[in-house]
This record gives sequence, C-alpha cells and structure tokens, in this order.
Amino acid sequence: MGSQTKERIFFFALGVPVVICLLAFFWIAATLFTGVGTLNLEFLTTSALQGGAFEMIVGTIYLFLGAAAIAGPIGVFAAIYLVEYAPSGKFTRIIDQAINNLAGVPSIIIGLFGYTFFSRQLGFGISLMAGWLTLALMILPIVIRGSEEAIRIVPTSFKQAALALGATKWKSISLTTLIAAAPGIVTSVILGIARVAGETAAILFTSCVIITRGLPASPLEPVMALSFNMYVQIVARGEPPENVFGIALILFFIVVIFSLVAIILRVYYRRKQPWLH
Amino acid sequence: MSNKWLNKISSFFVSLKSQPMEIVLFLCASFSIIILFLMLFFVAREGAVAFSRFGSDLLFGMRWNLETNLFGGFPLLYGSIMVTFGALLIAIPIGVCTAIFVSEVLPFYLRDPIKSIIELLASIPSVIYGFIGLLLVVPFISSVFGLVSGQTALTASLILSLMTIPTIVSVSGEIISAVPKEYKEASLGLGATKWETIKTVVLPISKSGILASIMLGFGRAIGETIAVSMVAGNQAHTPSSYLEAVYTIPSFIATHMGESAVGSLEYSALFGLGLILLIITFIVNTLADIVVKRGVQHG
Repeated sequence: MGSQTKERIFFFALGVPVVICLLAFFWIAATLFTGVGTLNLEFLTTSALQGGAFEMIVGTIYLFLGAAAIAGPIGVFAAIYLVEYAPSGKFTRIIDQAINNLAGVPSIIIGLFGYTFFSRQLGFGISLMAGWLTLALMILPIVIRGSEEAIRIVPTSFKQAALALGATKWKSISLTTLIAAAPGIVTSVILGIARVAGETAAILFTSCVIITRGLPASPLEPVMALSFNMYVQIVARGEPPENVFGIALILFFIVVIFSLVAIILRVYYRRKQPWLH
Repeated sequence: MSNKWLNKISSFFVSLKSQPMEIVLFLCASFSIIILFLMLFFVAREGAVAFSRFGSDLLFGMRWNLETNLFGGFPLLYGSIMVTFGALLIAIPIGVCTAIFVSEVLPFYLRDPIKSIIELLASIPSVIYGFIGLLLVVPFISSVFGLVSGQTALTASLILSLMTIPTIVSVSGEIISAVPKEYKEASLGLGATKWETIKTVVLPISKSGILASIMLGFGRAIGETIAVSMVAGNQAHTPSSYLEAVYTIPSFIATHMGESAVGSLEYSALFGLGLILLIITFIVNTLADIVVKRGVQHG
C-alpha cells in the first residue's frame, strides 16, 4: 500500500510538467486570440501599400509552395533510395548522418548559405527563387524522414507481386509501394510546409523586402512575407508588438492549420492501413 | 585488393547504365551530403578573411567595433552559452518528465492527443514565440524583478526552453516507447511496481536516447535566432546575471548582416561567427547520432 501511494506521488509529480506544456500552448493560443478583433476580411485582401496584409499572405504562400515543390520530389526519391536500394554500407550511413546534420543546421546559417550561394554565387539575388531554394533545404530532411517511414511500413508483398508479374524494380516500387505510401508522403510534405511557413531567419537575407508594389511578377523578384514583416517591424523599426497582432494571428493560423492537417492525416491513415494490424 | 576495388567500381558503373532511375534516386539521396559540403565551403570562404586576420580573437576577443576594425565575438559566445544553458536547465526536467509520463503513465487514448499538442508547440514559428515573449514574458519579468527593461537573458532562456521542450519530448519519448514490452512485463511479473519498472528497466535502457535528445535540444537552442533576438535585449557584453540583456551569435548575425557591406571585414567576421556556429551544431548533432546508435546496440 505504501509503495502504491509513493507511486501515485511520483506519477503526479511527472504529470506536472505535462500540464505546464499544455498550459503553455493554450496560453499562447489564448493570448493570440485576444487579437482576433484586429482581423477582418478587408485587412486580408487590402494591399500592404494601403495598410493591409494581402501581399504578405500571398508571398508566404508562394514561398512555402515553391519550396515544397522543390524539396518534395528530391526528398521522396532520396527516401526511396534509402529504403529500397541503398546497400547497408558506410556510404549509406554517411548519407543518413548528413540528413540528420542538415536537419540540425540552425536556420540563420541556412540563410547565410542561401545568401552567398543562391543569391550571390548563382545570381538569383534577393528573390522568390533564392527563398524557395533556401527553404527547400529546411523541408528536405523532414520529407525524407517522413517518406522513409511511410515507404518502410508498406508490406514487401505488394512490391513482390508486381515483380512476379514481370515489372522492373523501379516499376514495381513506383506502381505499388509509392501509391500505398502516398498518404504518408503527403503528410510529410505538409509537415515540412508547417515548419517553414513561419520561418524568418532563412529568408531574412535571401528573398524578402519590407514592401513591394504588388505581387512579384517573376520568381526573380523579391517578395513580402508575414514572418519577415513581423520581425522587421518589431526589431528594426521598434514598433510595439501590438501593432503586428493581425499579421501574427494570420501566420499562427496558417502554421497551426498545416500542422493539424498533417497530424490528423497521420493518425487517420495509421488506423486505416489494414496491413499494419 | 586493388583488383577487388576495380571490380567493385566497374560493376557500379555497369549497374548505373542498366538502371537510369537508380542514378536519379542515388543523386537525390546524396543531395544532403553535397549541400552540407557546399554550406561548409561557402560559409568558410566568406569568413576566411576574418579568420586569417583575427584567428581565435574572432571567438575570444572582447570588442566588436566597426570604426577600429576590431571584431571579437566573445560576448556573443558568452551570451549564446548563457541563454542556451538557462533554457536547458528549464527544458531538461520538464521535457524528460513529460516524455516518461506520456509514453509510460498516460492511458493510451490520451497519448496521441497530448503528443499532438506538443508537436503543435514545436511547429509554432520562432517569430511568434518572440512576439509572445514581448507581449507577455518581457513585461512580466520587468514587473517581477523591478527592471527597467524585461528583455534579459532570463526572458530569452524562458522562451527558448519552450521551444526546446518539444525536441526533447519527441526524441526521448520515441526512445522510451521503443523499450521492448517483454522487458517491462518481466519486471512487472516479478512484482515490481510500475514506477520501479520505469526506474530500473525503462530509464537505464533509454538513458543514451535521453542524452541524445538533450544534445539535439542544445543544438536547437544555440542556433535559435529570431525569438532570442526579439527578447534578449541585444547588448554585447558579458553579463554577470540572468537579469541583464545579452546578445547571442545567431541574433547578432541576423541584426548585423543587413548593414554590413558585402565583402567588408565585418561581413566576413559575421560569416566567421556563422562557421563557428555551424561547426558547433555539426559536432553536437553527430555526437547525438552516435550516442543513439550506441544506445540501441547496447539495449
């Protein structure tokens, strides 16, 4: 009996930090929601030149969609290689290590690299293109890891059936494994988008400006973004944080929606895939 | 020996010829390695001038002054370590306890929802954390400690700990859940309570994984830029208490890159600092990987 009470006390003590985590999240969400009053349709659709947020919202969407379009295919191909083709040798281990290291590079360094390499060396300048490539580097490890997991749980019998029918290895993978893994792959891309939609440090020097005349006409033009605008208005211009409440809220919504979709998709498909049980 | 290698290499090229798709896949997989090398090379190239001129003074010099062309990053290194240490001091106990609680104690139907909320915490952008910090934590700190400005190392540590907790929880949670069920059942079957099982079976097996999660959290915290630069007060000195403003390496880079002329000495010095940061995170992440793999083998 004594040990049981002791156990209860321990578990209670362990539960306190969990409650702190939950409270932190709800506290952040509740604080942000106090600013809902600053949001209205007009703010969303008015040009930034007239005090709205239209170009920032579209700019943010442009940035993460382009980055996902670049990192998605490369990441999925890399995952296929690692799961289906890679021999278990030293080089594969190095690739694996490199992916982890890339995921751990601070975003400010990704930004520095993006500036010297994409903006200057490759001549993209401060542009949407440079931002896409820079952000793609941040999405890539997330897509690779997520897709790897999705591909790994597809039963090999699917692929073997195709191989037995005479399909080549690549054909059988692309026709069976990839299709079965598609929901997991899509989830990983959405998760990657959630990670970079609010990214600031990586686009600080590579693709953003504080104001543009309308939307960028080509990928070689600079772009406005919600995160960049928040940061510059607060840090460089010293405006009180209350002034960017609307922008903060839109950004929060975008990121949370993407994360939630990814999380729900993952839970849903884990339950739905019959071969897992 | 050489013949064997020759055979290996030639058979590699033969296999490339017959499977063009495999080459594409292989190149995509190698992409991460290529990018890392490019990153090291280009950041080092831009920082080379500052390194050759200042050497270790770039890291240990006390003054950063544009007029006198002195670029010493010690106050920044000091600030980075101070803020990261403070953040980990808060995040480690909270993160590890949460991981144990979620993967061992919580009923099954609650695990996914709680994990999801922690994952949401991880996906909140750092600029929003900085915003929340300015809105809530900065005034709170200044009123509690009676400071003129609430932008202190403590504020930055608090915000940073919130951002580090999800990393620690998800990585160590994964390791803890991976402890084989049989081990736990064996312990329970011998009459141990659940807590004793956690203490004597689960934690010893997963301790290297927990250590790795802390290292990854360290890597995440020391590289965090935007949130820290919004709440830390940004003053380059070596403060003696957590209630003073600090400047960290990444936030210094973020705020100074815009003003420094391309190719100038300051520009190069900023890249030099970036290179140092990159190398620190490389080492920490690689060590974390080694620790995890060794732990898995032993477990």
